Amino acid sequence: MPSPRRLRIAHLYADEMNIYGDRGNLLTLRKRAEWRGIAVDVTAIGRDSAPELDAFDLLFWGGGQDRDQQLVFADLTVNKAEGIRAAVARGAVVLAVCGGYQLLGNYYVTADGQKLPGLGLLDTYTVPGPRRNIGNVLIDAGRLGITPPTLVGFENHSGKTYLGPGLQPLGRVIRGTGNNGEDGTEGVAAGNVFGTYLHGSLLPKNPQLADLLLARALGETLAPLDSTVELAAHAMVAARVLR
Amino acid sequence: MGVPARPRLELMAADGRLDPRALAALWAGKLTARVSRGLRLGGGTTLPGDVSRFIDPHILRKLAVGFEQGTMVVTGTNGKTTTAALLRRILEVEGRQALANQAGANLIFGVTAAVVDRARWNGRVPASVGLFEIDEASLPLLVADTAPGTIVVTNLFRDQLDRYGELETAAGHIRRALRQGPEGVTAVLNADDPMVASLGDDLPRVVYAGIDDPALLQPELRHGADARFCPRCGSALEFSGVYFGHVGHYRCPRGDFARPRPTVRATRVAFEGIDAMRLTVTDGRASVEVKAPLSGLYNAYNVVLAMAAATAVGIPLPKAAAALTDFTPAFGRMERVVIDGRPAVLLLAKNPTGFNEVLRTAIAFGEGHTFVLALNDRIADGQDVSWIWDVDFEQLRDVADHIVVTGDRAADLRVRLKYAEVPADRVEVIDSWREALHEGAALTPPDQTLFVLPTYTAMLELRSVLTKEGVLQPYWSR
Repeated sequence: MPSPRRLRIAHLYADEMNIYGDRGNLLTLRKRAEWRGIAVDVTAIGRDSAPELDAFDLLFWGGGQDRDQQLVFADLTVNKAEGIRAAVARGAVVLAVCGGYQLLGNYYVTADGQKLPGLGLLDTYTVPGPRRNIGNVLIDAGRLGITPPTLVGFENHSGKTYLGPGLQPLGRVIRGTGNNGEDGTEGVAAGNVFGTYLHGSLLPKNPQLADLLLARALGETLAPLDSTVELAAHAMVAARVLR
Repeated sequence: MGVPARPRLELMAADGRLDPRALAALWAGKLTARVSRGLRLGGGTTLPGDVSRFIDPHILRKLAVGFEQGTMVVTGTNGKTTTAALLRRILEVEGRQALANQAGANLIFGVTAAVVDRARWNGRVPASVGLFEIDEASLPLLVADTAPGTIVVTNLFRDQLDRYGELETAAGHIRRALRQGPEGVTAVLNADDPMVASLGDDLPRVVYAGIDDPALLQPELRHGADARFCPRCGSALEFSGVYFGHVGHYRCPRGDFARPRPTVRATRVAFEGIDAMRLTVTDGRASVEVKAPLSGLYNAYNVVLAMAAATAVGIPLPKAAAALTDFTPAFGRMERVVIDGRPAVLLLAKNPTGFNEVLRTAIAFGEGHTFVLALNDRIADGQDVSWIWDVDFEQLRDVADHIVVTGDRAADLRVRLKYAEVPADRVEVIDSWREALHEGAALTPPDQTLFVLPTYTAMLELRSVLTKEGVLQPYWSR
């Protein structure tokens, strides 16, 4: 008799960093867990409060508008760094999109040249790029062992992110810009820590990635779900960008 | 306060006659408009503007001098078209002929096209007021060209981030335009939208407009709201109540910023169906009852803002109220048509807040059971469709009997509805615009109304089907 299953999700800086579509990612995680009989709690984590972050199975961190993202820096290192590290050390899954992804790294240089320290959880850094990269993206994330091996999403960033030696990307860019438009990488996948520029939202059209995150966060193999509708949307975007 | 002094524009020709280059630009633009209408290229709502501005970048500036009573501009994320249409109605009942751009053609080229198209061949404009709705990013350019006497800002929500970056950027464009505006420019601002209200800082002439009806305030800030932080110190704003999104009654807990008390305000708003509402509006001098054939809080704001703008140009509140009674909504904004014998309503829904409010209105009166939802991701819609995840489609779960999904990104909407747990057997994906409309009508019971909710370019597609089938007139002939 399995114990009652419960997934605890922390939504980091839910008020400050919640640009378009993060709700799609959270809703996808929630529903795909609930449809399998797993109860889900999502806790919004704001500035100042310093909850026990290592009590969570999955940390979700979205993107912010530049101004709101600035509000977060001051809080990050003081109130959150230790908790996030402890959660990761315990095996919690982290999914950081766009702004959250940038803040996972060593530092982040703003468009006006200010160098802001990141969390330092991963050996990455982000510098401003010459233009905003906007559009649909298709990447090959076959390394993760997911089916289909592709991920689709929408990117909208001017920052260029570089991975340190030894770090593997989330995937290889087939269409789009990805981390920096130079080395063909998109995002990062380091153990259970995932960073990416893909939104659109990311998880609704990539249910295989959502299930991978859930399985890792829960530490168990999940029963399959019918994902016909999700994969139709996935295929539609893939076909459009390849056209 | 009377009519503010007409701002001075530097004239290219002091006698008001056009120089040869401007004349060439005007004629080329007018011919382009005729040709594109003749070829049915969609009414030529912006192309003549591109052509004219290419020949003479100052063409709009030169023609706009002809508006004897100046120009008025409406900007913001939602409500531009309806607010401008309401204002136009008020101006015209007052005997002030307004020349306006086509709904939605709200970049500088659209405005230029409208003026070029309607101007006489000698460059005279056949109206006393220029009344333009303009995208935030194009506002500085329009202000430079037409030196408007009144600038109305409706609200600022996340919309089309892929195109313009961020909310703060949009506010920056407007702030810059208001600062560079002519002396005597009056800003008409939504007092209940914190970021819009903060635009009034240190401006000499501001008319704030808002809603003061406690019965409609909701206690908490729902998700999907932006601009929740104090524009001065970054603290989370405290809301004593919210009308929708981040629009409501707020203050900074540190005392840096608070909702300005509106000069023109609705003290009571009552909805009487999907296209009828009654407001009590006051400006401190007069208090009037307004009846308008619109519904939804977002439209209540449009009405209050249009009336505030009218008072800014010297039209008293009672006259403005009287003018609105037989107002006809702008195209695609609560447009009633009959499809295969079924009444249908077209409601433009282009971003989370707009979509939520339109859904709320459709459901509030117990009429919305059959829907056609149409999602496109073209430039004018915003290429990033993430925003559909911030729309409360969960509202449809218990009320919708049938939902037809169409558009370039119908597949994304289909996924969204699955995660809103709308039962699969109530949702149908139909790629063809035409078939989607007819299927929607076929699914609508005889005593009910079909609700058609498209994004901007999806609405153009659906309207074009309805036009071909003789249900609607082409929008450029209205």
